[in-house]
Order: sequence, then structure tokens, then C-alpha cells
Amino acid sequence: MIVNGRTIMSGKATGKVIKLDEPLSFLGGVDGSTGDLRVGNGGNVAGRVLVFPKGKGSTVGSFVMYDLMVHGVAPVAIINESAETIVATGAVISSIPMVDGVPSVDMFEDGDTVTVDATVGVVEIEGVTMRATVSSVLVKDGKVLMLKRPDRCHSFPGMWSLVSGKIEEGESPEEAAVREIREETGISVGKPSASMDPVYVREGDTLWQVYPFKFEVPGAEPVLNEENEGFKWVSRDEVSLMDTVKDTVTVVDFMLR
Amino acid sequence: MDLTREEEAILNGEEGEGKQKAMELVTALGKIYGADDLIDITSAHLSGASYKTIGDGGLKYLEDMAAGGAKVSVPSTLNPVGMDRERWAEMHISREFAEKQLRIIELYGQMGIRTTCSCTPYTGANVPSYGDHIAWAESSALSFANSYIGARTNREGGPGALAAAILGKTANYGLHLDEKRKPTVVIDAEIDGSVFSYSLLGQAVGMAIGSGVPYFRGLSPETGVEEAKALSSAMAASGSVALWHAEGVTPEAGGFDVSGLEAIHIGRKELEAAYDKLNTVDDVQLIAIGCPHLTEKEMHQIAAFLKGKKKVNKDVEIWFCTSEEVRAKCPEDVKVMEEFGPVLADTCMVVAPIEGTFQRTGTNSAKAGNYLPTLCSQKALCRDIPVLMELVM
Repeated sequence: MIVNGRTIMSGKATGKVIKLDEPLSFLGGVDGSTGDLRVGNGGNVAGRVLVFPKGKGSTVGSFVMYDLMVHGVAPVAIINESAETIVATGAVISSIPMVDGVPSVDMFEDGDTVTVDATVGVVEIEGVTMRATVSSVLVKDGKVLMLKRPDRCHSFPGMWSLVSGKIEEGESPEEAAVREIREETGISVGKPSASMDPVYVREGDTLWQVYPFKFEVPGAEPVLNEENEGFKWVSRDEVSLMDTVKDTVTVVDFMLR
Repeated sequence: MDLTREEEAILNGEEGEGKQKAMELVTALGKIYGADDLIDITSAHLSGASYKTIGDGGLKYLEDMAAGGAKVSVPSTLNPVGMDRERWAEMHISREFAEKQLRIIELYGQMGIRTTCSCTPYTGANVPSYGDHIAWAESSALSFANSYIGARTNREGGPGALAAAILGKTANYGLHLDEKRKPTVVIDAEIDGSVFSYSLLGQAVGMAIGSGVPYFRGLSPETGVEEAKALSSAMAASGSVALWHAEGVTPEAGGFDVSGLEAIHIGRKELEAAYDKLNTVDDVQLIAIGCPHLTEKEMHQIAAFLKGKKKVNKDVEIWFCTSEEVRAKCPEDVKVMEEFGPVLADTCMVVAPIEGTFQRTGTNSAKAGNYLPTLCSQKALCRDIPVLMELVM
């Protein structure tokens, strides 16, 4: 699949991903002469496509990146959600192809083979397919409806989820949300009371692009179809204790805020 | 970004790799910060001068830039380095450090940068005028230039400022634009007017607002270079303030209507909290004065205070830090001050590797008070100059 970004430093490279979920300070975070990562799960950046949300920390970090280049242990490319001065400066002076503006580092997993065409500003993740879905937070008396997925499910078997499903061809995310709620719970909803930018969840070679919505459903009682085997109305705190699909807590937090 | 045909040509490498690299950096940064185009600058001031801060990666970068024939195209000055060029042994500096530091200075010189190394270029070596667009690194100096002089610069990083100096242009965004120079918050200041009180005020404001463009009310119309230097440097260290205005003091202050802005009062209570934050130890091994670098006036004042007095406490070292230019202009003061400790040129306690020798340092500077713990592993004592001097008398 292709992800669009923005050129920070031009150039093109292919390599395997090493990813950090947190902002990175090159000073302290990476050994300039060996490429060893001192943060996250460790590992080494040499020859890899280094993916992290954004830079932070000391401006000397730019020179640590130069040090990596001098020692031949620099990453072959850098992908950020949003570039800032330190990493952009380091990438330019060290001639490391770099893009920013990818929607989320959650799209990537360690070991993915990725081609970064930073001159054009696009990234290709090999062998990964993106599927667009919706996920709705139904709220009644301050509690959220959670559905139990059967063990025979293809994706996320046995876990608790929001009211979710794929967006069909020709359908807008909002239309899909309304349809999925009707199909899976029998509840008719009108307009969503809130929505947020898509979140990204990797499950093997599938990248789920999830559009979250919030609907207020006072007095509603769900009638399940065969897709789920149980339901619960729960508080925000209870959600975090359940075995849920990744990012459910983040979405619920945002929607109940 | 809208580039002229000439700028495009540089980006495409038609004027050599050095300029191309510089253009790549300036346009990349411009893109990140939403610049529409580039703007001509009249001067640059570069950080990244101390071997302690830039390390071997930075040194190699400068070697490569100089070898590639990079040359600045506008008057450019350099930040303090990690030692006095001649008196580094008195600073407990190793020969290896000294050699690498001298090489760094030489490389900047080769690129056409004036290597008087000071954080106060605005007192002599590099003085912008009102309305000038400049590309300055060094947070305290650029805030002074923006605020007290009314020149226009963003917080440039070292390589970004060097790239701008090579091109004579920087990306046109942020504080280059009228819109971004408007005050964001009013500070009603109640201070005693000493330079030290401006330091504490800056510390308190940085702690209170973090970033933004503060508009001060209640500062004396006599607020001079020394006071503005203390205020600028403290706010840039405790927060990331790069521009401030002061009613009746700074050149742009009269042009704003601040009636709708939030107003924060900074008085005795807030100054005390700032003071407590800066003081983490009671006894010290080193007292370092001159962050930012001492001006001529401050040299005269310190010498006048010390004249006829004796340093009796031999366990505490004293360093006075200023620029080579100021030191050369004040030989009589230097003679008096040297009885207490070396008057060091073009370096300071923050960018020198003092952590190899000292663990507890006294200073009158809020800026140093912020950086001594983080960049130099020091516990800090922050007092006004006479109080610090009396510790050794």
C-alpha cells in the first residue's frame, strides 16, 4: 500500500522498518558511532527505515545524525508524523531521505519492508493492505456499549470491541457507521455527536483504518445479530480493564472527554 | 514554497553542492514552519561553537562544510566556545579538548565567520538595526535583537543559521512577520529595578508562560542593555520566549493594543518562587559571572566593587566571562578583577566542560541557573554579584 507524505529531504531508499512509538531525541537516544538505539526496544538503526512520531530534545541531535552518517550506520530513510527542526536539520545535512506527514506511525510495524521515495513524498509498505472501517461509541447514561466478538471471528477473535464494521464501496464512513449499528444492534441512530481522525491498527498484513464516531442513544437496548455473542454497558474505567481491540481505550477517552 | 528562479537554480545544484545543501536546509525548515518564501537577511549569528556541545559529529560536519568551500555571504558572528583560546589550562581543560576546540574556531573562520565568540554580539561585533531581518541562533541574543532592537529573527538552530548565512536568506515565517510579533500576554511587573531583579523576572515569566510574546508594563523607561540582556536570557532559558515588548522601553511596544489580553502579575511572591527554583545548593566550588557575557559597564561596576578588597577563600575559584573585545577595552578593570580570578574571553561556564572539575557553581545569571544543572551536572547557587563576591572575601 502507498502512504502519502511530504518531502523533507529528497532521495529514495528501501529497507526494513525499525519503529519507535514515542518522540525521539537523537542525543542520548542513539549512539552516534554504532547506531544502537538506547530507547524503545533497543535494536540498531543502521540500514533501516527509522519510523517515529517526531523529534525532541537537544539541537545537538542533528550532529548525532551526522555522526551516524560518518560512521556508516545511519538509517537509509526517516519517516515522521511531523518533522521539527532538529531531525529535519540532521536529515538534510546528513543526506538521509526523509518524509513527514504520514497519518500515524501505527501504520508501520518493525520488520515491514518499506520504500521511501522522499523526492516525491510517498512511502510504500510492501505486502500490506489497508481496509477502511468504522467504530462507533454508543453512549447511554454515561456508559459505553461494548460487544463481545465470537472466537470464530477472522479479526480480533474473542475480544471486546465497539460497534464496528467495514465501509462498503460507495459508502461514506458516517453512512457505514449508521448501517453497522442498525445491523449489529438493531438500534437506529441519527447524526453522530462527535467524530475523530482515523486511527490505524495493524493486524498482520492488514492495516485497519478506523473512523471513530460517537452516538448518543438514550433508552436504547441492543438486539444482537450473529456477528457478536454478547454485550455490556460499561464505564470508561471498565473499558480499560477489558480485553479490547487496540486503540479502543484511546477512542473512548476522546469521545467521552 | 515560492522560490525565485535564482533560488531554484541553487536548489538544483547549479551553484555547487555547498549552496545546494544550504538551500535544502533552509527550504526544509521553511516548509515545516509554513513559510511562503525566503527573505534576505542582513546578518547571522551562529551557535554550535563549543566542542563540548557539538562533539565529534559537529566537528566533522564543519570539516566537511569548510572543505566543500562553504562561505558566508552576510556578516556573521559566532557563539562562545568551550574555553579561552590562551588560558584554557586555567580552566582545567585537556589538551585534546583544546585542540579540537581551536580547530572548530579555525573552520568557522575559513567559512568567513568572524570568530570573536560571544553571546552578546549586539554590543559591538554584530549590531542589527530596527526592522532588519536576521538569522540568529543563541536564544538570549536573538531575543535581545528581536525585542530591544526591533530586528526580526526566529530561533534558528546552528546549522540552519549557517545555511542562512551562506545564502544570505532565511525562510520567511514566524517572527519575520508582523502578525506573529503581536503580544500574547500582558505581564504587570513589580521589581526593584536591579539587573538581578530583571533576571528573576525573566525566570518567573518563563516559568509562568513557557512560550509566547509577553508585553511588560511597569518596567523603568531607563531599562538598559544590561537589564534587557538579563531579562531576555532568563526568559529564553526558563521558557522559550524569543520576543518581548515593554511599554515605554522597546521600539515596537507603542504599536499594540493590549486591552483584550490576559494580564499576569509578577511580584514578590513569583520572584521568590523563581529564586527558589534557581538555587539548589548553598556552598560552591566555582563562582562564574558573565552569562550572557559581561558588558563594559558591568566590568566597570564589578571592578569598582572589588577595588581594595581581597579574596581570602582559596577553595573557591572565580571566573569572569566576557568577549575578547570587551576584555581588550577594559584593561584597568581586568587588572582589579584578576586578583579574584581569571577574566576569560569568548567562553563561559555553560559551554565549557566544567563538569570534569566542579560539582557546585554559583552564578548571578538565571540563564546559567537553568543550564548548569542540565548541561553541566552542577548544583547551582544564584545570587546577585556582590553577594557572590562576599562569599570569598
